[in-house]
Amino acid sequence: MKHFILIGLLTIFTYAENYTFLVKPYQKEIELEAKIITEIAASSLNEPLKLFIPEISKLEKSVYAQYTTLSATCEDANFIFINKNVDEKSICRSKNTLYFTNNYRKLLSDERYFGAFFWNKSRPNIVFIQRRLQAHRIHLPSSFEQFIESIE
Amino acid sequence: MTLRSLWHKSPFYFFIPTLLIAFVLLLLLSYTIKLEEQIGRKLFTISTSDLFSITQNCASQVEHLLQAQSNYVEALKNDVTLQHRVESYLKTLLTPNIKYAYLVYKDDRGIFRFLSDASNKEDKAMINQKLDVESPEWFRIYEEKRPVVIHHTLLHQLSLTYLLPIQYDHQVQLVLAIDFSIQKIEEVNYVLAILKRGIIGIMVIIGIILFFLILQAIRLKDIRKNSFIDKLTGVYNRNYLQHYQDLIQLDDYIIAALDIDYFKKINDTYGHDSGDRVLTQIAQTLLASTREKEDIVIRYGGEEFLILAHMQRNDPNSPLNIIEKLFSTIQKTRFILPSNESIQLSVSIGVNLVPQKSRTFQEAFKLADVALYNAKSKGRNTIEIYDESGHKDQRSHLSLAEIKAAIEEDRLTCYYQKIVDVKTGNVSHYEALLRLFDHEKRIITPDKILPSIQGTFLLRNITQKVLSVCYHQLRLHPELFINVNLNPQDIIDETILSLLKTYAQDPWIAKRLGLELVETEDLVRKEKAKENLSMLKHLGYKIFIDDFGSGYSNFIYLAEIKPDFIKIDGSIIQKILTDTISFLLVKNIVTFAKEAGIEVIAEYVSDEGICEQIRDLGIRYAQGFFFSRPEPESSLYR
Repeated sequence: MKHFILIGLLTIFTYAENYTFLVKPYQKEIELEAKIITEIAASSLNEPLKLFIPEISKLEKSVYAQYTTLSATCEDANFIFINKNVDEKSICRSKNTLYFTNNYRKLLSDERYFGAFFWNKSRPNIVFIQRRLQAHRIHLPSSFEQFIESIE
Repeated sequence: MTLRSLWHKSPFYFFIPTLLIAFVLLLLLSYTIKLEEQIGRKLFTISTSDLFSITQNCASQVEHLLQAQSNYVEALKNDVTLQHRVESYLKTLLTPNIKYAYLVYKDDRGIFRFLSDASNKEDKAMINQKLDVESPEWFRIYEEKRPVVIHHTLLHQLSLTYLLPIQYDHQVQLVLAIDFSIQKIEEVNYVLAILKRGIIGIMVIIGIILFFLILQAIRLKDIRKNSFIDKLTGVYNRNYLQHYQDLIQLDDYIIAALDIDYFKKINDTYGHDSGDRVLTQIAQTLLASTREKEDIVIRYGGEEFLILAHMQRNDPNSPLNIIEKLFSTIQKTRFILPSNESIQLSVSIGVNLVPQKSRTFQEAFKLADVALYNAKSKGRNTIEIYDESGHKDQRSHLSLAEIKAAIEEDRLTCYYQKIVDVKTGNVSHYEALLRLFDHEKRIITPDKILPSIQGTFLLRNITQKVLSVCYHQLRLHPELFINVNLNPQDIIDETILSLLKTYAQDPWIAKRLGLELVETEDLVRKEKAKENLSMLKHLGYKIFIDDFGSGYSNFIYLAEIKPDFIKIDGSIIQKILTDTISFLLVKNIVTFAKEAGIEVIAEYVSDEGICEQIRDLGIRYAQGFFFSRPEPESSLYR
């Protein structure tokens, strides 16, 4: 019986990857997003990052917490990433806070956002608007050069 | 070598075909993996070739639409009608497998930007919107100016992207891109995975079977090992010998048969626990004196051991040295009994130095046994070598083949020695004694015949022959009484018993045919033998105990066998005039026999003095050279 259990476990472990396919890609996507956002935020700020994501999910919280300090309230944050359709009015407004979106159209239409990270044709895309970067006195490293757009 | 003998040698030989099958399956698995790659490529080509053609057509249509323009990018940016027409072309490409279809160009900064997108409103990119591409392969199309296929490994929703160049004046102006969803490839992979899992499943089953086969073989080996090991001494037992004797290479070993001298006395004096302790210590001594991996020690009887000492090609004497070493070690060792007493022992060893001259192991072993018999005959505590070349002229025993040939060629006969009534001087009985003529007509006596055939069917054949000859003489001479010698084996042999029953149908024959029993110690141990003796007595045969007073025949057996006659052993009679103990022994035997109603015969009466003495002691019958030597059947006519 012991041998049967051992062989059974070995077989299950061999195919273990197959049983995690539902969770793994999703988590990978959030991980990638978290890495990019924290990198952008850290490069944009001259002070330690305090990130706030409105209506943050548990999974997002656990993933983002691995890379940066999350702020519980909008007011305490110095970088706000809006990645859901939330009521714009509920988001605090502060002159020294940087706003980032995950929607290209919102980026174009709302002056608050200086850039966006979004999925375009299933590919991760980053866009910064040059004029808004200047307005916020943000100096990004040269590695971000290719993402900066001079949209008026 | 047959499968059976392979199995006998080791059950592990049966893993070879299983391992072979496992190896073939591994090859098959490796081939399947390669096949999977090829099938994958083929299936991909089959499932995408149509789509590629359609996309090519679409690209041609777009190109045709824009051919009037010199700058495709600017024309599309500025002409909304053109944009709608291009988009309508692109929309024809969308299927469940093609997730996205779009037209892009590369700007001066090397950034790809959308010009047209067939996606629905939510996913639709705006004109001039930047597209961050994930692979440098995108740039290759501008150099190679032909379609590029990009396989995605990192993007979890796309399996591949197909890029088509739209050129103006041999310069790539636009890129038509389609992104395949993962669904198609997943379908292909699903089919391949089933195939792969099937093979892996078979491998796992083979593995499990192999595992259990190994497990069973180990268990079987353990069980077999235990059945071959003597529990008391830890050396191999008779089962081992029976099982492997056909596999033993006779030219690789010398065979030594070892017997512990007077072992019965140890059991009788100190008890069976002591006997067992001695056997264990002897076995340990044998194991310690032999080579662990080369020599084989077997306990094949109560106190009998067999040693197969391996011969070294460059040192033919080494196995004999081992036998001599263990012999002297036993002589020097003091064996400790459970009572903490210590005793010294001796052993007799018979060695066959030339087992390769025998046809079978049994024959070779028999010759070692013959040598052992000789060692015992010479007073024990010695090594006796059976070496055919050295014993040819003066050897004590005939070979089995020679005896068998003599029986077949009817060269066996009986000589007869008188047993005389010392009171009257008349012949009371004759003892029939086996004789064999060799090819030179020389007479061979039983001491050169019987040791070789103990325990073989030849002994029975010889007894049959002797009985037949005697029966014939009894019929020819109605006044004669003839005795024949029977071994314990004969008394339990159905053929012999059947013959004696047939003869007994004539009561006058049974009454005159005396049965002389030798080695009565073995006889009384066998319940069947005692029953048969009783039956023979009932049929009218007279029972004689031969060699009474010697090692084998003693008073205790008289109660068991209830003989009509006892024949006092010749070695005692010979010393009756010179040795007081022998005299007193004979005197007591006679007194006892008279009271028990048993007649006494003195053997080996060689002179008148002995004859006078036995007559004085009241022994009625005597046999020996003083009266007559064994003579051929012609003497019966006188």
